[in-house]
Amino acid sequence: VPKTEYLQGALDLLILKTLALAPNHGWGIQQRISQVSRESLSVSQGSLYPALHRLEAAGLLSSEMTASDNNRRARVYRLTAAGRRRLETEAEDWREFSLAIRRLLQQN
Amino acid sequence: MFSLLSRTIRELLQRRRANREVEEELQFHLEMEINANVVRGLSAADARRQALADLGGVAQTTEAVRGVRASWIDSISQDVRFALRVLRRGGTGWLAMAMLALAIGITAAMFTVVDALLLRTAPFQNPDELAFVYLGNDHGGPNAVAPAVLRAWKQSGVFAAVEAANRSTAVVEMNGSIMTRGLAQVTPGVFEMLRGVRPVKGRLFDTSDGRSGTDDRILISEDMWRDVFGRDPDTIGKSVLIDGKPLVVIGILPAEFRFPSASTVIWRASSFDDPKGTRPVVYVRFRTDLPRADAERIATTAARSADSVTATANRYLRVQPLRGTLLDEYSERAIPLLGGGVVLVFFVLCANVSSLLLARFTARQREFAMRSALGASRARLLRQALVESGLIGILAILAGAGTAWILVALARAFLPEAFLLGTLNPLNLDLRALAVTSAAGVVATAAAGLLPAWIGTRVQRDSPLRVSDRGGTETRAARALARMLLVAELALACTLLTGATLLIRSFVNLANADRGLDPEGIVVARLSVLIPELKGDGARESLARSLEDEVRSLPAVQQMAWSYGLPPGGGAMSFGEWHSDLAGAPALDMVVDRYWVGPEFFSMLDIPILRGRTFAPEDSSNDVVVGERFAAALWPGLDPLGHSFTFVKERFRVIGVAREINYPTLETRRDSPEFYEQFKGVGRYAMAMASIRCAGPCPDPALIRQRLGRVHAAVRVDSVRPLVDSYIEELARPRSAAAVGFAFAAIAVLAAAGGLFSVLSYAVRRRRREFGIRSALGASSSQLAGVVVRDSVTVSLAGLCAGGLASWWIARGLTSLQYGVSATDPVSCAVVISLLAITVALASWWPAKEAMRSDPVSLLRGE
Repeated sequence: VPKTEYLQGALDLLILKTLALAPNHGWGIQQRISQVSRESLSVSQGSLYPALHRLEAAGLLSSEMTASDNNRRARVYRLTAAGRRRLETEAEDWREFSLAIRRLLQQN
Repeated sequence: MFSLLSRTIRELLQRRRANREVEEELQFHLEMEINANVVRGLSAADARRQALADLGGVAQTTEAVRGVRASWIDSISQDVRFALRVLRRGGTGWLAMAMLALAIGITAAMFTVVDALLLRTAPFQNPDELAFVYLGNDHGGPNAVAPAVLRAWKQSGVFAAVEAANRSTAVVEMNGSIMTRGLAQVTPGVFEMLRGVRPVKGRLFDTSDGRSGTDDRILISEDMWRDVFGRDPDTIGKSVLIDGKPLVVIGILPAEFRFPSASTVIWRASSFDDPKGTRPVVYVRFRTDLPRADAERIATTAARSADSVTATANRYLRVQPLRGTLLDEYSERAIPLLGGGVVLVFFVLCANVSSLLLARFTARQREFAMRSALGASRARLLRQALVESGLIGILAILAGAGTAWILVALARAFLPEAFLLGTLNPLNLDLRALAVTSAAGVVATAAAGLLPAWIGTRVQRDSPLRVSDRGGTETRAARALARMLLVAELALACTLLTGATLLIRSFVNLANADRGLDPEGIVVARLSVLIPELKGDGARESLARSLEDEVRSLPAVQQMAWSYGLPPGGGAMSFGEWHSDLAGAPALDMVVDRYWVGPEFFSMLDIPILRGRTFAPEDSSNDVVVGERFAAALWPGLDPLGHSFTFVKERFRVIGVAREINYPTLETRRDSPEFYEQFKGVGRYAMAMASIRCAGPCPDPALIRQRLGRVHAAVRVDSVRPLVDSYIEELARPRSAAAVGFAFAAIAVLAAAGGLFSVLSYAVRRRRREFGIRSALGASSSQLAGVVVRDSVTVSLAGLCAGGLASWWIARGLTSLQYGVSATDPVSCAVVISLLAITVALASWWPAKEAMRSDPVSLLRGE
């Protein structure tokens, strides 16, 4: 199911949207994205983790190391206020963009 | 900005923890994935293998996350570490750094010297209000004024402050040793006029000092406190024998305080109120609320009404701004030229650093190409190159500051006193010089690093990676730039070499110039005589006798002669119209050195009498001996014996012709024709010079000074020094100018040779393959060497042509510093050209030999 070329631009949006529902760790985010998209979208960890750290450095996410099941510490990410605002604008942009594409494809 | 900085710093501090956490995070991900696979029903081993396969490289992800998190400091520090590693491999990097350090060091040191000697104002508050004033006409006038004039100026209120400071030297006796030190007789208010002078210990003078009864009070400098008193804390209140009189130290001034001359270390209070006593040399601080012209006019009027001589001689107030420097004309001309020389050296070294870095970066083009192929952007490569040259620059700045410090210390130790004592500013490497060092360093780094980095990083991705093309190619721009830098270097080296050759030839000419007399083994004592104190019949004769007895009682003294005025150039300057007795001869307008000498004078100084005879006791005061030049001017082609001439209404008869004496000096106007009158006796002139010839080494000047100084209260010894010192002193400045010029030229020539050598040998190494093929195709080894030589000769000829033009220009600029050498001196030209030719030949010899050694077999084996 490799549709990663489309994914690249949308990855940030996917992460932000996933975290808007609840704070989660990297594996959880990955699972969540593939579940919600019914396995049509899969994010490799090679793209996910750099993106998470980039968004955190940009102040859209915050994170902390928390104790988790089976005695391991996990890094849990949550959305910041800035992240929430960014999610709204990005979602709006995406909607406009996909609407434009759909209109284009519905010609003829 | 601040938050960014604090975050950057926090991240730097927590970097290790953050790295651990990233690994932990990914490890957690891996385990979750394995668990999920197990839940899906895979075996533990399969679950793990599957998870790892899905994940891709954990290490790559870790690196990618780090790349996201890395701050700019991280990447710069990576660059710096890399640059250090490259630098540690040695080679051209260190050479470039050493050259840059040298360039910065010399420039900063020279700036310090030029600044202290020429640029800086006097180190006092509002120095432009301060001035030395005297009364004179358009030709000048005596330095000192009548005591009444000083009083009149003080009362008039026309100046904010009027004070006197007369400098001289004094004999200091302390614990049985005798030494001479600079002394200034000053009015008590002089420190207040200069403003901001604070004693290190004790107090300054106050208005009660300097009158009769309190004129035995002195201040001494920290230097003298250290040298003479060994920093004894109880020095204040102690008395010390100065010119035979016990004087009391009341304060110690800081070593940096230099006034009125740099050599002054003792200040003695005096009110200058004795109308017949010492005439004061006056310094003033102008009022800011009165225009200068008005102040000068009022001061002139006041002086004329206070002193009849000023009125009758129609003298007016002449003002000399008190500058930080009291340099003579030679130094004033030489120091900016040497400063210009150091700028040229700076350029040569910078050009060399630039070409070294260029060669270095070009040689590493394969490395750049490799990194570029691995995904480094050009900006990244450029930054790497800049960090490398920046690192070289920073290390060079540090080393350069150290070099400058050492050079200034050396200058302090070895520069002639004439230079060092010519300034009221102490010679210290100051903050401004350090700022200039750093600025010079930044300029040098930018100049040396930017262009090579730009060209060196212009990589064609594919070409240098081809295995057959060993060592990479030089881009056309890099090649052109390297050649241009070399041409510039050679041109500058040629220019500096020309300048240095001219200075050295001038110095040699000056040192070997015929003086017309023999100053070796002669010590001269200069005495001031207070004529009014010599009252009564025979007082003068008995004074002269006791002085002579005193001199003859000294060990090793062979002969002595009295004179008033002494070579070199120390005669009474007489200018005006000279009329010879020839019928119809026009009056001659010339400056003549006039000496009054005893009969033994000529034989003692080894000045041959060419015609006639020296003085005899029965000669009248109008019988004179003339020098050759004087005789040739007044009686061209004739025997002057028996002829007479008139000067200022006085008529003189020639009884002898002495060989011309010369004053080898760059200021030719100071070498005048001379004539001699008979010395009328000690006490007839305000001064007298006793020339003493010794068999073997002369007695210690301080001893002579002490013996003569105690003979009579009317006699004060101004100085005792070997006659040859006056000549050597005249040589000191040209010698240091020539030495500094030589050092500059040597550095420039070596740098140019080094640059030529490195560029040529680099080119040979790069073209080894080409040479190998040529040789395989039958080119003889001399043909191969010819390729290298042609390269070097083209560059050298271009450099010499450019340098020749610049040299011609510099030689003209140096005219005023030349003695017996013209700007187009063929010997100097030949010296410069042959030296440069030898340099070029030596620099191309090894590369040419290397080219001849090109062996096609070994080269092809390497394919």
